[in-house]
Amino acid sequence: MPTHKVEQLVIATVGFFWCFLMWFSTAAFSPSIAATYHLGIKDLGLLASSAIWMAPVGRVVAGWASDRFGAPRTFAIILAGCGLVSIASAYTTSYELLFVERVIVAVAGVSFVVGIQHVAQWFEPEEIGTAEGLYAGTGNVGAGAGALLLPRIFGTDYHSAFLWLGVIALGIAAWYLLRGVAAKTTERRLSAQRGSDIRGTVFVWTRYIAIALMLAYAMSFGLEIAMNAWLPGYFARGFHEEILGLGFSGVAGLQIAAGTFAAVESFNASLFRPFSGFMSDLFQRRGWTPLPFIAKELPYAPRLHWLGIALILITLSMMGLTVAGLSGSLHSSIAVLVAFGIFLSFGTGGTFALVPLLFPDRPGIAAGFIGGVSTAGGIVYPLIFAGSANIHMGYLYVALYMFVPIVVFYFWAARYERHPEEHGLFTGELAGQQV
Amino acid sequence: MSSIASHARTEPWYKYGVAFLMLEIAIAVAVSGYSLYMTFNGLGGFPGKH
Repeated sequence: MPTHKVEQLVIATVGFFWCFLMWFSTAAFSPSIAATYHLGIKDLGLLASSAIWMAPVGRVVAGWASDRFGAPRTFAIILAGCGLVSIASAYTTSYELLFVERVIVAVAGVSFVVGIQHVAQWFEPEEIGTAEGLYAGTGNVGAGAGALLLPRIFGTDYHSAFLWLGVIALGIAAWYLLRGVAAKTTERRLSAQRGSDIRGTVFVWTRYIAIALMLAYAMSFGLEIAMNAWLPGYFARGFHEEILGLGFSGVAGLQIAAGTFAAVESFNASLFRPFSGFMSDLFQRRGWTPLPFIAKELPYAPRLHWLGIALILITLSMMGLTVAGLSGSLHSSIAVLVAFGIFLSFGTGGTFALVPLLFPDRPGIAAGFIGGVSTAGGIVYPLIFAGSANIHMGYLYVALYMFVPIVVFYFWAARYERHPEEHGLFTGELAGQQV
Repeated sequence: MSSIASHARTEPWYKYGVAFLMLEIAIAVAVSGYSLYMTFNGLGGFPGKH
């Protein structure tokens, strides 16, 4: 079947955008669902957190499946399965059943790693950063678009929304199956298929550089989804008086203001992500390797340096959030948040500009491990933020006690000038690989 | 450093990809600008004039 890599990129991006829309559509209608079933705050919290439950394990499985069976089949099954359950949830009248169905629909979030694998199988090393960035960044916008548009289109009628989201998902699944091609060449396809055994999985999971990239993604995307949930409450509490001083009043007014300020992080982290991939490509083309310790001679060394810069900037901006918060200046806090969101995108885009190059024979397994396990950060960070005596100090604690050690580990793992993937918890032979 | 520097020409699709990412950046800048503006003007700022 004649096709072009841009067509494959468009199919993957549209599929991912729709999956993200379905993933967060429950949250968009949580007030309506709460009103229908008379839910309390604890039930709402459980419903909100359930969206992320399937991500860590589900992404690992989806990554393996995309190497094994090809991205088009895997993506189509995710879209069709989640679409059908979404349609079923539109007709459900029991809250318990609706909850279970929406947890299953949230599996749509695992599709990220399938598209990463698909794009990696089509694009060349010198353009992979921009291609993966366009895929992931544009797809991520689905979350914000859902929160912004779904309640405006459907009002409180979440039944119709879930129905249409499911029906269109089925259409995209059919499109993906009809026009999606797993890889640019048969050799690439077979190479990924051969690497998708348990030994290949153990190999990837035990490599220091893969662990470093997983932690880097936990520092960026894990933090991004944590902040999506945390920031509205942070602004409502941490800058309560300042927001009231701006003329907002009542719970609804506080929600509007806090939500608008929090959206800065979400929009920048998503929309700057393609730019980060472009910067990774630019570092690669120009051969920029400015950081000490990190390898300078590897074929993809400049991309390692770009990610190193991103991790340092994320750590510094976390400290900046604490400083701005303690100063009590809402203007400073939003200004730092703008930079913080951009730096998060540098981390997410920088990580997945590297993953397909480090593990070209196992792009799905590597994407599943790095993109899956790291999402656990979305659960951990809010607990630390909420556990701090001062609401502004949590960012500093996370930066000092988690991010600084992760950055040091990243520099250490990225220092090898030859085959960093050979170095891991076991020797390559023990992990089942000839190295 | 020169050993890894690659000056290979990018393919035609690449410039359209870069144009699209610039559009996305413009949206992000607009949202950031609006939020920052709102910290100074509150409900009096565009587009939430009351």
